[in-house]
Amino acid sequence: MHPFSFTKAANTREALDAGRHGGRYIAGGTTLVDLMRETVERPETLVDISDLPMRDVTVTERGGVRIGALVTMSEAAAHPKVRSLYPVISQALELSASAQLRNMATIGGNIMQRTRCTYFRDVTAACNKREPGSGCAALAGFNRTHAILGTSEDCVATHPSDAAVAFAALEARVHLVGPEGERQVPFADFLLRPGSTPNREQALRRGELITAVEVPALPRPLKSGYLKVRDRQSYEFALTSAAVALHVRGGVIREAKVAAGGVGTVPWKLPAVERHLLGERPSESLWTAAAAKAAEGARPLQHNRFKVELLKRTVERQLRVVGGSK
Amino acid sequence: MSPQPQAAVGAPLSRVDGRLKVTGKAQYAAEFDADGAVHAVIVDASIGRGRIISLDARDAEQHPGVLRVISHRNAPKLPYRDNSGSNNMPGRRLRVFQDDKVLFHGQPVAVVIATTLEAAQHGASLVKVRYDAKKPSTDLHEAEPDKPTDYARGDAKAGLRNAPVRLDLTYRLGRNHHNPMEPHATIARWDGNKVTVWDKTQWVVGTRDEIAAVFDLPADAVRVINPFVGGGFGSGLRCWPHTIVAALAAREVKRPVKLVLSRKQMYFGTGFRPSYEYRLRLGSDRRGRLSAATHRIDSETSSYETFTEGVMAPGQMLYSMPNVSQAYRTVPLDVNTPIWMRGPGFASASFVIESAMDELAHKLGVDPIELRRRNEPSEDEAKNLPWSTRRLRECYTVGAREFGWDRRNPKPRSTRDGDWLIGLGMAAGVYDPGRYPAQAQARLHADGTAVVDAATTDMGPGTYTSQTQVAADALGLTMRAVTFRLGDSLYPQTGPHGGSSTMASVGSAVLDACNQVRRQAIKLAVEDRESPLYGVPADDVVVRGGRLHVQGNPARGETYKSLLARHDRSHLEARGNYAGPPTPERDSYAAYNATFAEVAVDATLGLVRVRRMLGVYDAGRIISPKLAESQAFGGIVGGIGTALLEHTVTDHRDGRIVNANLADYLVPVNADVPEVRAIYLDGEDNSGNALGVKGIGEVVQVGVAAAIGNAVFNATGRRIRQLPITAEALL
Repeated sequence: MHPFSFTKAANTREALDAGRHGGRYIAGGTTLVDLMRETVERPETLVDISDLPMRDVTVTERGGVRIGALVTMSEAAAHPKVRSLYPVISQALELSASAQLRNMATIGGNIMQRTRCTYFRDVTAACNKREPGSGCAALAGFNRTHAILGTSEDCVATHPSDAAVAFAALEARVHLVGPEGERQVPFADFLLRPGSTPNREQALRRGELITAVEVPALPRPLKSGYLKVRDRQSYEFALTSAAVALHVRGGVIREAKVAAGGVGTVPWKLPAVERHLLGERPSESLWTAAAAKAAEGARPLQHNRFKVELLKRTVERQLRVVGGSK
Repeated sequence: MSPQPQAAVGAPLSRVDGRLKVTGKAQYAAEFDADGAVHAVIVDASIGRGRIISLDARDAEQHPGVLRVISHRNAPKLPYRDNSGSNNMPGRRLRVFQDDKVLFHGQPVAVVIATTLEAAQHGASLVKVRYDAKKPSTDLHEAEPDKPTDYARGDAKAGLRNAPVRLDLTYRLGRNHHNPMEPHATIARWDGNKVTVWDKTQWVVGTRDEIAAVFDLPADAVRVINPFVGGGFGSGLRCWPHTIVAALAAREVKRPVKLVLSRKQMYFGTGFRPSYEYRLRLGSDRRGRLSAATHRIDSETSSYETFTEGVMAPGQMLYSMPNVSQAYRTVPLDVNTPIWMRGPGFASASFVIESAMDELAHKLGVDPIELRRRNEPSEDEAKNLPWSTRRLRECYTVGAREFGWDRRNPKPRSTRDGDWLIGLGMAAGVYDPGRYPAQAQARLHADGTAVVDAATTDMGPGTYTSQTQVAADALGLTMRAVTFRLGDSLYPQTGPHGGSSTMASVGSAVLDACNQVRRQAIKLAVEDRESPLYGVPADDVVVRGGRLHVQGNPARGETYKSLLARHDRSHLEARGNYAGPPTPERDSYAAYNATFAEVAVDATLGLVRVRRMLGVYDAGRIISPKLAESQAFGGIVGGIGTALLEHTVTDHRDGRIVNANLADYLVPVNADVPEVRAIYLDGEDNSGNALGVKGIGEVVQVGVAAAIGNAVFNATGRRIRQLPITAEALL
């Protein structure tokens, strides 16, 4: 671990001040401290934001849910409003990490977490995300867990968060505060595809701080759920995952929100699947036909070819689980 | 055993050291308080093969707190005296900081010693090393093997040619790492020319001998201490380079040095279960009677040492057949040297042989258990010796009954539970336990308590408890009155704590020592006119709860305490000895099991989840049933890992291990371990040890992976000849 200084912000103004001068925000620290130990992250200054007032889960006027950035994963998952309105979020959170980590890690940190690409985490390996221009060791290396969607010649690392897949599916908005004031960014624009700058991962301006993630109101009743496919039954990142939310009225699907995890360089929204579902009646054949579009544009690598088929099957399964098997 | 009543042996007792462990008072290697210890962190080579061109330690040396950076540029020449003991493998062992050569990715190239751990860690990251890197050879399937070790009986070629039914199968087994919870760690402290080393090891004697050899010291100048081990599974069976690095560093900075490997460093700083490519050809008649088998077995070793393990044995003695030929070839690679891992060799061979038997059973339409019964040998056909005991048939019978084998539909893909395909599988397991010469010292004190010492280890199976049980019964004392001590090279010498050898070997020495002490006391009493036991034949006296009395007449007797007081003896003591098994062998001695698995395989997603496991063991006398059950659970969990999850992945471009951490190297978690049950057949095996034990720590993992693989086949109709079995193979 490289030497660093540590300050604790008493309020948002103090935090932003420190952030403007290059301070890195730390809350639960479950990713950042890990990566500091590996010397992947070498911040000069850490700014502890855990005292800031971002710990609430509130229902918005329109009936959505706003989750404060410092709400822990376990608090968010257990919150009655989250549980009842968006089971997909609770499930995604509870299928993440371990109980100990979920008690420490926050929602803001969860969507900020960095890839599990083992070459990124090994400072002796080439990695454009860690060291721009050094190359991508994963491209022709061991890439079983890597992305098949949204990749570039410079980076094929997946975004590891499960909750972010649910947020992407539900078209959440990220609330930010920065030196120039507050703003909101659609989730789809918040996490960046690698392109030729895989070191740029979020649409954050210098010193900006996440204050909350807001999930918009959706027509009710809304059925939703999250499926995570992995080698180990627990405590592993996803090989593939699917977040699905469906609003069915009069026997017809009126709203469909679908995203996949473990396959994209960012949580992968599946608009083609959604479009295929809209206006249709739930059926086994509908799930199959819709899921067939899940891997459109996939570019598999040497060791992750299986993810193309597995992704389709994952989405199909979860459409059936959420939408029923009539 | 002895004429003594058995109170402790065979009782399901809890660990005598359990309280120390759960209260954090058990001290592990890194936790000893060596006054003024400073910290050492190793710098690992970041290439897979080549030479160090330059090593710049200036930034590291200038970092506050850093005391010294040692590398091949400034390290003293170390004698590295020959030492064919200490589980060193044939070859030329890795010599730390003695030249500029890099033999594998992660090899130690320097060590940074600092007053704090943080300064040492940061200092290590500041050492700049430039290399002349060559492309390493790390792929078992691409490299050139050594000359084979052969075995043959009959004419396997002709046997296969003439067999009406033939199978030709090639299996690939992934590399596994032990991953004990406790990281490997060493504290070294020099006092003049003597060195004391606290080290995570499964063999304090072997580590002592290796340190003495490396530094050219007499053995008595080295003391190795290790009272507790947080899991080993074989990774502590030899003295690794980091232990030498710690001792060297302590000598150079003239202060005690503590060195703890990081989790990542454990993947190249200690050994591993090697990967295998194993081609098996089987021939049988149409009823399944085996006639011939040929085995071509290739496995990893390092470029500098040849590691072999007992992978040939199961193919020679598990089933009856007249014609066998085997060729076992090590393949030297630019990797560090492997080491034995739970069920070494046998677990790997059994996956192959037991999967193939299942294939044969399916091909012939014969029940897998029935096929095995038809090929059960009446004697060891490789050694031409009778079995000491071999009760595999009973294992099958009990296992089939208790597991509900009759509910298995032999037709694959015929049982469903929603999205899941359900399958049942079984496998036989065998392990030939080690038996090594051992000594133990027993001392009975005037207060009626006893202390028994031996330089063995307890890596988790419960050596403290089981040896105390043996001692307590032989001395006629309660468990509480006996203290068993281990983990100090000053204690009476023993072999390594591995290969399921400890109960038979150390246990026999403990039994001998305690029997001698008890007999001394009895002799003292029956020859003493003032003793109520005066004149009683010595053989008629037993001891219970510290009181000697006439067998069948508890009223006539006296306590150790009064006897020793009257004779003004502070203690009685004796050195016990176990000489090892008789040579030449009179019989074939091994532990056996039948392991059963029920798995669920997601029909579309390819996920395998184990639902139930049962192991039935023919393992001789069970000294400590509660701990034996834990051993079985541990072995089965390890087998689940090997079958479905564990796989060390090397990037062959530069020899880097890409999943050297517990997030990417997957071991089973609780959710992967369902209902597990263990049954030990009641009995004993008196071949070559007085306790009648066979050793259980290895056999419990042998066969587990095959049972799971066979259950996957029964569930899906897919035969996966590769470990681990992962979703992509089943999609």
